[in-house]
Amino acid sequence: MNLTHNVKTHVLTARVLILGLLAVMFLIPWRHAYGADMVKVGLLQEPKTLNIWLASDRWSRKVLGQIYQPLYIRDPKTLKFIPWLAQEHPVYDEATLSYTVKIRPAKWSDGSDLTSEDVAFTGRLIKEFRVPRYASKWKFIKKIETPDRHTVRFYLKTPKAIFLTRTLTTPIVQKREWTEVIEAAKKTEKPLHALLNHKMDRPVSSGPFVLKDWKQGAYLFLQKNRYFFGQDKTIDNRKLGPHIGGIIFKIFGTSDAAIMALKKGGIDMFWWAIQPGYLEDLRKHENIRVFYNEKSALYYMGFNVRRPPFNDVNLRRAIATLIDKDFILKRILQGYGIKMYSIVPPGNHFWYCPNLPRYGEGLPKEARIRRAYEILRKTGYTWQVPPIDTEGKIVKAKDIRLPDGRPMKRFTILTPPADYDPNRAMCGMIIQEWLRAMGMPAFSKPMAFGSLIQQVKTRRDFDAFILGYGNLSLDPDYLRNFFHSRNDKPKGWNMSGYKNPEFDRIADLSAGTMDRDKRRALIWQMQKIIMNDVPYIPLYNPKLVEAVRSDRFTGWVEMLGGIGNIWSFCRLRPR
Amino acid sequence: MELATKKIVLRYHWVFRIREGWGIFHQSLLGKIGLVLLLLFALMALCSYIPPRLDPMYDPMTGVDPKISHSTGPSMRHWLGTDFMGRDILSQLLAGARIAFMVGVSAAFMSIFLGTAIGMIAGYVGRIMDTLLMRLADMIMVMPTLLVVLILSSLFGQLNIWTIVLIIALFRWPGVSRVIRSQTLSLKQRPFIEAARVAGASHLRIIFRHIMPNVLPLSFLYMTFRVTSAIIIEAALAFLGFGDPGTVSWGMMLQWVWKTGHMFKAPYWLLPPGICISLITLSFYMLGRAMDEVLDPRLRREQEAG
Repeated sequence: MNLTHNVKTHVLTARVLILGLLAVMFLIPWRHAYGADMVKVGLLQEPKTLNIWLASDRWSRKVLGQIYQPLYIRDPKTLKFIPWLAQEHPVYDEATLSYTVKIRPAKWSDGSDLTSEDVAFTGRLIKEFRVPRYASKWKFIKKIETPDRHTVRFYLKTPKAIFLTRTLTTPIVQKREWTEVIEAAKKTEKPLHALLNHKMDRPVSSGPFVLKDWKQGAYLFLQKNRYFFGQDKTIDNRKLGPHIGGIIFKIFGTSDAAIMALKKGGIDMFWWAIQPGYLEDLRKHENIRVFYNEKSALYYMGFNVRRPPFNDVNLRRAIATLIDKDFILKRILQGYGIKMYSIVPPGNHFWYCPNLPRYGEGLPKEARIRRAYEILRKTGYTWQVPPIDTEGKIVKAKDIRLPDGRPMKRFTILTPPADYDPNRAMCGMIIQEWLRAMGMPAFSKPMAFGSLIQQVKTRRDFDAFILGYGNLSLDPDYLRNFFHSRNDKPKGWNMSGYKNPEFDRIADLSAGTMDRDKRRALIWQMQKIIMNDVPYIPLYNPKLVEAVRSDRFTGWVEMLGGIGNIWSFCRLRPR
Repeated sequence: MELATKKIVLRYHWVFRIREGWGIFHQSLLGKIGLVLLLLFALMALCSYIPPRLDPMYDPMTGVDPKISHSTGPSMRHWLGTDFMGRDILSQLLAGARIAFMVGVSAAFMSIFLGTAIGMIAGYVGRIMDTLLMRLADMIMVMPTLLVVLILSSLFGQLNIWTIVLIIALFRWPGVSRVIRSQTLSLKQRPFIEAARVAGASHLRIIFRHIMPNVLPLSFLYMTFRVTSAIIIEAALAFLGFGDPGTVSWGMMLQWVWKTGHMFKAPYWLLPPGICISLITLSFYMLGRAMDEVLDPRLRREQEAG
């Protein structure tokens, strides 16, 4: 009897305990389960790699940007370079053609010191292995010296304007972490291949966060780096944290799913440009804040000028006249962007040349057709049915013929698929229709991004394409890279195959000109040449629209390129 | 006199068969609904040529309303509203009907043509030819059409609508060929084939004059089902972003509404193409079911008994 009573009492106690446990699990808000100070960031795709030398996709770079840090970064307001891992601005010695950089006291996430040896090692690694993404920024460095643990000296072969803006912004890696890797890579037949394919599981961090956990296909967790050099310091008049426990990157396949999660509080930020169609709902949401920022970007139509029909500058000018940028901006971008008239975005005030030809600017559709017709007719193009009939009326043209009398062969305008970028895919389709109205056999062809790049850059077998640079450097040296005849090679930057000795000469001169004003004059000249020859037709620069939850964190820092920057993650605070 | 009537009956037996078939079809409610729906879509496809003639702004691809540059709901000017660029949704819907018919009917016709020819040859010739053709059919049958087209699209860029039609046709014939083969095997053993052979008819004549007329009704029945699958594959491809960007199809409309972020806020844009895809496939399916009853007397008897 007593035994039965005891058993009953134990069962009852167990039930009460289980119920109590369940009640606790349900009553405590679930977000506390993984910390209220964790910022949840939605990404569209999983990072491809954590190997900094291989990472070229934007998802990997978003994550690695919180881990590996450069010597200098840009101020979010003035966009001027400020010392980051460096202690102060570099000191230039004209006599020896050298720059001396002092490193601030900093540690890696494993507790070891970050020294000048790490900086020199990074540079030597890039030069020795010719790491594709960085090699061009380091190839003019003759020698790197480390006089002491906190001083590094770079000797240049020739003066280079991009040294400050491109070389010193390279992320620095830890010598200890990579020494073994490069030694092993050197012993292989293809050292670069071995280096790029090294599987990096736990990168040692010098940034505000360090990798804690990565469940592929689900999430990636960056924890606060307790050795971060900026912790509680004031750099560039900004008090740094991080004041958050970490960042959880969640992977969503589509914008719809990510935006739904943002609305319901599943994530605090969606790190991707939001399409205008979503904005009305997001703006109405009381706990969502929408940010609008400029991008240093260029979206353009490029031609293969190596072969007909686009080896004719007149045809390119006629197409530039036919393209209605107002239409693209107002209807495709829904007003969220600006028209581009040069390869350099107009927001880059210092380097942007304002006096450039603006083909067909402000003209209505009919006037564009008339002007393009005039350009083509005068240069020998003929039609079976011309776009303007004998009475001067606009009609649908048929079968355009080249100046040598041959019919124009059908050509394709390659674009990324709508899935990747609906705006570029739609631009391709609309431009196709505008060109067809002139009797040109244009066919827009959206293509998987990887295949498109391979066709344009590696195989160089294409007619025209619409591509973009979403994150153009503020230094306009890319002008030289995009159009210098030296870069017209497989996988080279000069995708159009543009060749102009005069341009090459000015471009080379600009790269070695250290005086900003003199260099600007050269950069303006380069822009004029390009817009006269139009191997690329600049189309637009989209405005970056991003959205965050406003109820959990505060302190997002806006800058050119949006709120997803190192400043934001160093200054975010829980509400 | 009786002989003359018999001759007329023999000469115009197909007219009688059609009349008889129509009588049975007419009794099927499913068939009637399917036919009415199909006629409605055919009318839509025909009407798709009208709006662009009224005003260039009703061109489904390039026409935009000069006063509207964002998505708006239905109005007198745009009965179903406009898309994000200010293009008329009704014009796109009508053009989509044309594309659906074009894709559905041409892909189905090609696959039926292939399936019937291969099925008849395999069944009639037999032996090694039968084995080879049927193993080929087995191999193609297990390949997922949508996946193959998706892979091809990502490799070669988005495919032209006719390439999509061709691929669908090339992947959808094995089912038909299997049915036609079994029918041919059964027909081959019938006395009238034996009689033709004894009379000196060539193999080609036997296949095309004696076997084909007997398997064609079955082929046409399968065609209705193939139309359905072709339309769905094209719509799925376009929705996923792998359709022909130069055509305005219903799948493409759905892709635009999705990619521009209007999925949950523009029902006037999302629902019409979705409903049309469902209804047109349903109509072909209903038609197929009713045709099934016409061609298969066993189904009829079961229904009458039931």
